[in-house]
Amino acid sequence: MIEVEQLRKQYGDVVAVKDVSFSAQQGEIFGLLGPNGAGKTTTIGCISSLLTPTSGHIRVMGHDVVRDGVAARRSIGVVPQEIALYEDLSARENLSYWGGAQGLRGALLRERSTEVLELTGLLDRAKEPIKQFSGGMKRRLNFACGIVHQPKVLLLDEPTVGVDPQSRVRLLELVRDQAQRGACVLYTTHYMEEAQSLCDRLAIIDHGSIIAQGTLAELRALLAERDLLRLTGVFQPEAVREALARMEGVEIIQSDETQLALSVSDASHRLPSLFAAINTAGEVRGTTLTQPSLESLFIKLTGKELRE
Amino acid sequence: MRFVFTSAVKDLRRLRREPVTLLTWLGIPTFIAIILVVIFGRGDARPNGKLLIVDEDRGIGATLLAGAFSQGPLGNMISVEKVELEEGRHRVDQGKASALLIIPKNFTQALVEGQAANLQLIRNPAQRIMPEMIEEVLSMLTDGAFYLQMVAGDQLRKSAQGTPSDASVAQISVQFNHVIEDTRKYLAPPLIQLNTKVIQDKTDKPGGFAALMLPGMLYMAVFFIAGGLATDVWRERASGALRRVATTPASFRSFLAGKLLAVLVVLALVGAFGLGVARFLADLRISNFPLAVLWIAVSGCGLYLFMMLLQSLASTERVAHMLGNFVLLPLTMLGGSFFPFDMMPRGFAQIGRLTPNGWSVTQLQKILAGVEVTPAAFAAVILFVAAGWLVVGWRIRRTAC
Repeated sequence: MIEVEQLRKQYGDVVAVKDVSFSAQQGEIFGLLGPNGAGKTTTIGCISSLLTPTSGHIRVMGHDVVRDGVAARRSIGVVPQEIALYEDLSARENLSYWGGAQGLRGALLRERSTEVLELTGLLDRAKEPIKQFSGGMKRRLNFACGIVHQPKVLLLDEPTVGVDPQSRVRLLELVRDQAQRGACVLYTTHYMEEAQSLCDRLAIIDHGSIIAQGTLAELRALLAERDLLRLTGVFQPEAVREALARMEGVEIIQSDETQLALSVSDASHRLPSLFAAINTAGEVRGTTLTQPSLESLFIKLTGKELRE
Repeated sequence: MRFVFTSAVKDLRRLRREPVTLLTWLGIPTFIAIILVVIFGRGDARPNGKLLIVDEDRGIGATLLAGAFSQGPLGNMISVEKVELEEGRHRVDQGKASALLIIPKNFTQALVEGQAANLQLIRNPAQRIMPEMIEEVLSMLTDGAFYLQMVAGDQLRKSAQGTPSDASVAQISVQFNHVIEDTRKYLAPPLIQLNTKVIQDKTDKPGGFAALMLPGMLYMAVFFIAGGLATDVWRERASGALRRVATTPASFRSFLAGKLLAVLVVLALVGAFGLGVARFLADLRISNFPLAVLWIAVSGCGLYLFMMLLQSLASTERVAHMLGNFVLLPLTMLGGSFFPFDMMPRGFAQIGRLTPNGWSVTQLQKILAGVEVTPAAFAAVILFVAAGWLVVGWRIRRTAC
């Protein structure tokens, strides 16, 4: 179990993480969704006791990560964003080393290594130096090294970055397996689809702060089941605002001279009336209609796309 | 504790996967030993020079002067040959002799009569040490001749007048005795008493010049290896392995202790190999082989931690590389790796012996010679390694995150 209370991490005047609070339970996949630089890795760094929080409290399986770091780290498995492996060692040797660092030894270490090699589909390549592996295989081994000791808490920092679609699917299956085993999984990503398909609960983080959190259903409800309508063209923002003010169930999320983002209930049936109103204040050249999703929620909350 | 061995095994496995690096490290002392043996030869090799003498005097003074160069240890280094002037000049011009000494006519007569005589020494400009040595010896001999003349000029003059009879030899002996009696009040009792204690030289077979150079050269290899191994931390940092270690229950001190253990093994192998090669190729006398190997390995760990500290102080790998070279090269030069301390100016040698590597070389030389077993030196190194381990462990933890 992970409990984060009012976490703050500051580097001089720069605040990387600001008053972040959340908790994740055993058997749950908790997602931290946000763009690059939002503070996801810093949060994971503080939980894994790699970084010391400026203020706030973090407990892992009841152990304070600052005061009782070693006990907390015994429960943790980390899969970092980078491929933190020894390229000149074989897959099995890497597992032996990282398993050894987690306190495994002897027959148990060998048994667990074989198990995770099989799980990640690397058993037949176990003796090869991993510099001969493809990127996807290295990612899988990177994951295997994080779970070799069957951690109660698994921290995954964007583990699918730069991975081919096939390996990504395999990795996501492995993450689900870990949650089913009973591990508490904290998963950071900036891929909406991953977060939607994988996480039981989510926190959306931007500029170091959590701007929304809950289950997928709870977050969708924040959009009030509205669709996201994005229009491109030439607009007069003030005139658009006046034209739409009279229409019920329409909220302007973003408006400038070339782009317009609207949160609209039942948008597909109301498109003709919307175009008619907007055309009085500009000219529509392109239209995108999106069903309620995390992406539309992110845009609603931050006024920008996740990948911006 | 278990992680220390796991960490050491990991590093040794990685080194095993780099056979070229490993062979290069083993090759450094071998290559140096071969070069030295090729240049200086095996055994008791010494600098050798040739002094050509043109004897225009042909008297006893000239004979004594020429003979002085062939006496004692000097005779092992300088071979004297009498030649004609033209041939002598020609051979010096061709670089086939170290110097040409021209003893003028009437040199003996001038010597006994206390008159001035000009000895001409032509040095070979292509050589440095031997002509310098010959000039120094010649200078000492002329000084000696001056004092001899002051003390026993009359006796010399008499002995120079043809072959002396038994009676005149006896008379000269008596007169010499009187001269010595007269000077005794100045000489005995001496104002400064010199007590000489001769320590038994256990290095009865020192192995010559190559062996003199080898301990320093071996430490150059050790220093380079230590520096090379220390840079590995940048690879681990770049891959994220260091940060990953920080997220495990294992401590950075265990991680570093594992590295030290691996370094100890590598340096022990290199030391054993280097000393073995030196014994085989250069007849290096090794009084206590296991102790010498242990010393190289343990003191090498100290050098490794020293280099690790530099690496951990640098902000980037590039800066670390520059800093490493900036420190390593002067230290190897000062520390007796390029020139043995015996051949360095006294001031530099004193400073050099205080450098970490220079001090280690000095201790190794003692161990090799069996002159002194140095438990205090071992204790000092172990203390240094322990302190370095704590400091570097802390620094790595800081830089990893």
